Amino acid sequence: MKKKKISRRDFIGAAATAAAFTIVPRNVLGGPRNIPPSEKLNIAGIGIGGRGSGVLSSVDSQNIVALCDVDWSHARGTFKRYPKARPYRDFRKMLDKEEKNIDAVTVATPDHVHAVATMAAIKRGKHVYCEKPLTHSVYEARKVAEAARKYKVATQMGNQGQAEERPRLLYEYIHDGAIGPVREVHVWTDRPLRGLNSVYWPQGVDRPKETPPVPETLDWDLWLGPAPHRPYHPAYLPFNWRGWWDFGTGALGDIGCHALSPVFKALKLGPPTSVEAICTLVNNETYPVASVVNYQFPARGDMPPVKLSWYDGGMRPPRPDELEDGLQIGTNGALFIGDKGKMLGDRLIPEARRKEYGKPPQLLPRSPGHSEEWIRACKGGEPAGSNFVDHAGPLAEAVLLGNVALRPELKEKMNRTRLLWDSPNLKITNVSEANKFLRRDYREGWTL
Amino acid sequence: MKDHKRTANGRDKERTNGQQVSRVSGLTRRGFMSKAAAAAAFTIVPRHVLGGSGNTAPSEKLDIAGIGVGGRGAGDIGEVSGENIVALCDVDFRHAAGTFKRYPKARQYRDFRKMLDKEDKNIDAVVVATPDHTHAVASMMAMKMGKHVYCEKPLAHDIFEVRKLTEAAREHKVATQLGNQGQASEGTRLVCEFIWDGAIGPVREVHSWCNRPISPRGLDRPGDTPPVPEGLSWDLWLGTAPERPYHPCYLPFNWRGWWDFGTGVLGDIGCHQFAAIFRALKLGYPTSVEACSSGVNSETAPLASIVRYEFPARGDMPPVKLSWYDGGLMPPRPAELEDGRRYGDPDSNLYVGDKGKMLNHRLIPEARMKEYKKPSPTLPRSPGHHKEWIRACKGGQPAGSNFEASGPMAEVVLLGNIAVRMGQALYEKGLKLYYDGPNMRITNMPEANKYIRREYRKGWSL
Repeated sequence: MKKKKISRRDFIGAAATAAAFTIVPRNVLGGPRNIPPSEKLNIAGIGIGGRGSGVLSSVDSQNIVALCDVDWSHARGTFKRYPKARPYRDFRKMLDKEEKNIDAVTVATPDHVHAVATMAAIKRGKHVYCEKPLTHSVYEARKVAEAARKYKVATQMGNQGQAEERPRLLYEYIHDGAIGPVREVHVWTDRPLRGLNSVYWPQGVDRPKETPPVPETLDWDLWLGPAPHRPYHPAYLPFNWRGWWDFGTGALGDIGCHALSPVFKALKLGPPTSVEAICTLVNNETYPVASVVNYQFPARGDMPPVKLSWYDGGMRPPRPDELEDGLQIGTNGALFIGDKGKMLGDRLIPEARRKEYGKPPQLLPRSPGHSEEWIRACKGGEPAGSNFVDHAGPLAEAVLLGNVALRPELKEKMNRTRLLWDSPNLKITNVSEANKFLRRDYREGWTL
Repeated sequence: MKDHKRTANGRDKERTNGQQVSRVSGLTRRGFMSKAAAAAAFTIVPRHVLGGSGNTAPSEKLDIAGIGVGGRGAGDIGEVSGENIVALCDVDFRHAAGTFKRYPKARQYRDFRKMLDKEDKNIDAVVVATPDHTHAVASMMAMKMGKHVYCEKPLAHDIFEVRKLTEAAREHKVATQLGNQGQASEGTRLVCEFIWDGAIGPVREVHSWCNRPISPRGLDRPGDTPPVPEGLSWDLWLGTAPERPYHPCYLPFNWRGWWDFGTGVLGDIGCHQFAAIFRALKLGYPTSVEACSSGVNSETAPLASIVRYEFPARGDMPPVKLSWYDGGLMPPRPAELEDGRRYGDPDSNLYVGDKGKMLNHRLIPEARMKEYKKPSPTLPRSPGHHKEWIRACKGGQPAGSNFEASGPMAEVVLLGNIAVRMGQALYEKGLKLYYDGPNMRITNMPEANKYIRREYRKGWSL
């Protein structure tokens, strides 16, 4: 053990010997401990390759004390970067064992594991940063947000764009009345496609038939987690699980929480009243190649009802007449149609209109940064911008409700109706068989 | 010799003092045909000398040749088999076998050029139902010989071809009909009459879609080169298209998704769907078009696409936006459509007027339809799509989708494909295509004009 100045990290490493100093174990308090801003958080990472690695970098001004991944090959780089962090395969074991040593966790597993990992942490009074779309099902999003409220933990979903200047500017234009009341919004992404022969990840494909052996470094059973059992195949990981119904949440799940966050904030959206989905034809195992999801939101205060259309897989709304020739509409974007004008993202169009309008008065505080917001909240500061209770939960529910409308099992129904949503009761009121897709059955041994 | 047979049969009429003289004897036509050689003496003026098509009295039968006679071609020929089917041509004798069998007296050919040369004197009309890339050359040759032409949609493979066919139909005064049989329907007439009656007010927006999983698309060219099956003349099948090795992924049906041969779902179904829209809204050329899709390459059409046209005001009708969707996509469900009512019936048109909406030829909601006092029919009803053509061939009024009437629509359909193919470039440049219809020119993106007219393989010309 190193001597001289004992750093916090060394101290943690000596946790067992430190037992004598403990007065009240953290978990007995029934919530997170108080951490002064001057102190560092002790953070554990769950799902630490790929995006998880990036999330950890964004919080490693704090102490990274434990790391967990079911795929030690994929996690190798992160393990190496934080050599003092104790490595784990099973987040449940890690949380059990490290309970006393950690204040907070970052969750960046595949989507189907978000909820169980996040919930296990919250129930232990740990603060949670969880990647979007928060959970895999609407029910999980509701439960996780409820738990965050109950356990009074600081939370943040991984839609980092919410911390930028642009969504604030958008909010300020809209609330300054720059385009009048907004009744229609179009939001799009080019995911999962980049074009025909180059994709972010595949969708519209069927389940592979061959069953190659599980790589030595991977615990396939843990990777599956609460998802139904199926044989290992490299088609699913490390990244392409996004396109598979059992694991990911498609383009809408991946990008919806980024792209819709500014819309929800600027228009103060809550739960939609209805949703309908239109999509390409093959999507039994995977999400469709392209889809359009249409939501309707009720009036909010003095804001009128609004129709929100989501496009992915290369689909986009028409170019607005106000957009000058030569200006791109954007691979990812949002078009706001108000009674008195249009905005493309945070930009009034046409450009002449933007110039003439000038900047709206500042109404919102600026952010210190997305991860910093969370760290600040963990240390007793104000709630983060995408905390589960106020923003991320409702946003993720709406996004995941869109995926319910996309279910292949409901295709025929969706030809005859739209799904009517009773949010307080977490119930689709007019298509009873749709309700089972709000919540999935977990594999034996897994609970929320 | 064949000239003689024909006139003896009484279908090629002598024109004397403006009168047509028919010379049909008591023999049945088919029986007579087989005796054609013996009838030579009766010929007065061979048809081709008259220039333009011969006139056939309504009581007489046309002699029809089929070009592309499997699949849809078999259906078209079935529809006109009340006339005489005298010759059949297909590059794929396997695929054509059923049709050959059904018309055992029809002479069989592989190459339509040879057939037309040889049967010139024996035929009045042709039915063209080849893959799209062969439509124009087959139809044009027939028209130049004064034959009436029924050609499957989308009339041709590219805009230039359509324009030339339209001009040729006018020039040669032949009776033509595009294979968009829906134009003959009651529904098409109702759409026109309702809209002209002001049932939904001025129409500013129309959505049209086809969501059937028709042909494989979103593919790359296959790498393997299996042998050409016996019965297929691959070189003739390729026709005007650039040389490439045979592969079963192209035929008999799946050429539709391949740019070199077919025209995607828009080309396949657009001419059906747009017929009512063009007629009711009196559309001509659009001012602009843009498209987005699930990904497109130089080989095949995308799995799904949206094409958006803008048309200028016409008379007292305001500018209108027409959107096309395929591959499963549709516009949002209109609020007027009752819960529980099917929306996506796979090919549909939604008309959005200032005072209401129509889904195909029904106002929505149904209560609105029920209370609507329908106007008295103002448009003549059709005897049937193929019958219209037969009637026109025999001197009757032009068929509803004769090339002059349907050509501009077919051009607009094919223009949509250009927007799809240019989709990524349009996106990157931040443009939609501006179109100069009369001059067949995209004015703001010169490189897109290469798709207006394609190069033919050596040995082929229009």
